[in-house]
Amino acid sequence: MTAARLEDEEAISPASLAGVPRAPGRVSWRREAAAMAVGFALLALAPFVFADSYSRHVLIMVFIYAIVASNWDLSLGYGGVFNFGHIALFGIGVYAYSLLTKLAAMDPWIAMAASGVIAVVAAVVVTIPILRLKGIYIVLVTFGFAQLVMQVILSQSDYTGGTQGLVRIPGLYVFDHNMVRDAKFAYFYIAFGLLVLSTIFLRLFVRSRTGISVVALRDNEEYAVSRGISLVRQRLITLAASAFFTGVAGAFYAAYQRNASVEVFGMSLATIVLSMVLLGGTGTIYGAIVASFVLTIFSEAMADFGAWRPIITALLILAVMLAYPGGIVGMLRSGWTGFAGLSKRAK
Amino acid sequence: MALLELDGVSKAFGSLKAVDGVSFKVEAGEIFGIAGPNGSGKSTLFNTITGIPFGPDRGVVRFDGAEIQGLPGHRIARLGLARTFQRETAFDGLTVFENALMGATFAGSDGGTAAEAAAEALEFVGFDRADLGRSAGELSVFQRKCLMLATAIATRPKMLLLDEPASSLTKPEIDSSIDLIRRIAARGITILLIEHVLTLLMSLSQHLLVLNEGSVLALGDPRSVVADARVVEAYLGSRKAA
Repeated sequence: MTAARLEDEEAISPASLAGVPRAPGRVSWRREAAAMAVGFALLALAPFVFADSYSRHVLIMVFIYAIVASNWDLSLGYGGVFNFGHIALFGIGVYAYSLLTKLAAMDPWIAMAASGVIAVVAAVVVTIPILRLKGIYIVLVTFGFAQLVMQVILSQSDYTGGTQGLVRIPGLYVFDHNMVRDAKFAYFYIAFGLLVLSTIFLRLFVRSRTGISVVALRDNEEYAVSRGISLVRQRLITLAASAFFTGVAGAFYAAYQRNASVEVFGMSLATIVLSMVLLGGTGTIYGAIVASFVLTIFSEAMADFGAWRPIITALLILAVMLAYPGGIVGMLRSGWTGFAGLSKRAK
Repeated sequence: MALLELDGVSKAFGSLKAVDGVSFKVEAGEIFGIAGPNGSGKSTLFNTITGIPFGPDRGVVRFDGAEIQGLPGHRIARLGLARTFQRETAFDGLTVFENALMGATFAGSDGGTAAEAAAEALEFVGFDRADLGRSAGELSVFQRKCLMLATAIATRPKMLLLDEPASSLTKPEIDSSIDLIRRIAARGITILLIEHVLTLLMSLSQHLLVLNEGSVLALGDPRSVVADARVVEAYLGSRKAA
């Protein structure tokens, strides 16, 4: 029974350690996998509840935000690296896909995967100068990197369209399915599939020993190094890992919108996604995803409030963060603890 | 052959010579004590040996037959040279078990799986099964010190460098630390121990080195070292001045 040996509650082998779970103090991976499967299965039913293309469009945007925010949570929340170039990785995905499909006439699906790889390469390039830096200096370098990428794109207007951006970017295809007249049915499931893959990847990563070592480095760099963890190697891995699906999400966004502009490098998008990471609760992956839903849907629901919309949103974020510094996940956790305490007392 | 050998090790910060031409040898299996007043360069000496965060400017550090000065800190840890820090440190975002697992995974040297090494090291320093899943952030000072020792033991080191293991501990906690250090030595781990509490050093170490202003002031068996007039002066000041 080789399968049984992989089971979570399986004891670590020596007799003296019998009964020690593989990850004491953590939710077992079976339980997490089951919860994740239920959550995603419910989400997969959404297009049957929401048949109109507007609702589906909102959900597609939620999925894109969720991918970008949860991957940012890997470098920022788990790694503690203030990578303010994360949105640039998304922008690089947008432009990599646009240029590869438009100029090189590459197959859209291959271009989407290639955009992820290009974002990974870009992440490695930006990581090298920040390896020996800390805190605010990492913010400066990574922010500068984002600006640099934007300037390069603006300056190469013959290819990138400069401030005009690019239009008529080839979309994705699924066999002979008509992607335009299906009320965004196909794009919904492509975005949904990307979110599922990205989330599974991120959770596997943070539960792995490499993932744990990333937190160790965040908590105390010198102590982590003294236990054999290589700062250079782990930091490169973290940033590279957070880049792939971010780049793919950028490519998907370009394919879905059929146009690209340098606005994706702007502060406005960076601020929205950063508020999702923080509001959700850093270092959880799920928090960023949940917050993407909450913020996007909240923002859409308040469309009639005009200029009041961002103000009310900001106040809401402030209120939650003041009451629960752990964000939405922190709020849910303390709610659960309270509930568990009550039900114990009731017995 | 000595397990650890320093030859003319120096480290300066600007014009301040924090460690100045220090040479000594530590034989395998012994407990070797390093004493000295505050600011005498004890912790800087540890930093230069372990490369965390920096190696020496000059001089040679030989560990287990190989020169290690200039190697990055994580590589030195993997060679079997583990250290603790003066301030009790832990990976607060991780569980007790995960703390030890890190040492075992990334610097563990011989035999068995990392999970086994981690669980065994935690049991050895006195953690209960029920503690393994606790968050390291909620431990007491003494427990954090013990956890720091467990993460070091989990690397299966040949040698352990302890930087003031008794600082900010109560008397009974110091007693159990002394007992624990003896038990670590009994596992065959060579120990290099920094303390400025002389009584602790006297009761544990076979050799004692006293640093003052970055240089070796005295070196030998503990009893004769503490009787040395220069050592008394460095600790208490000279009679003439008083």
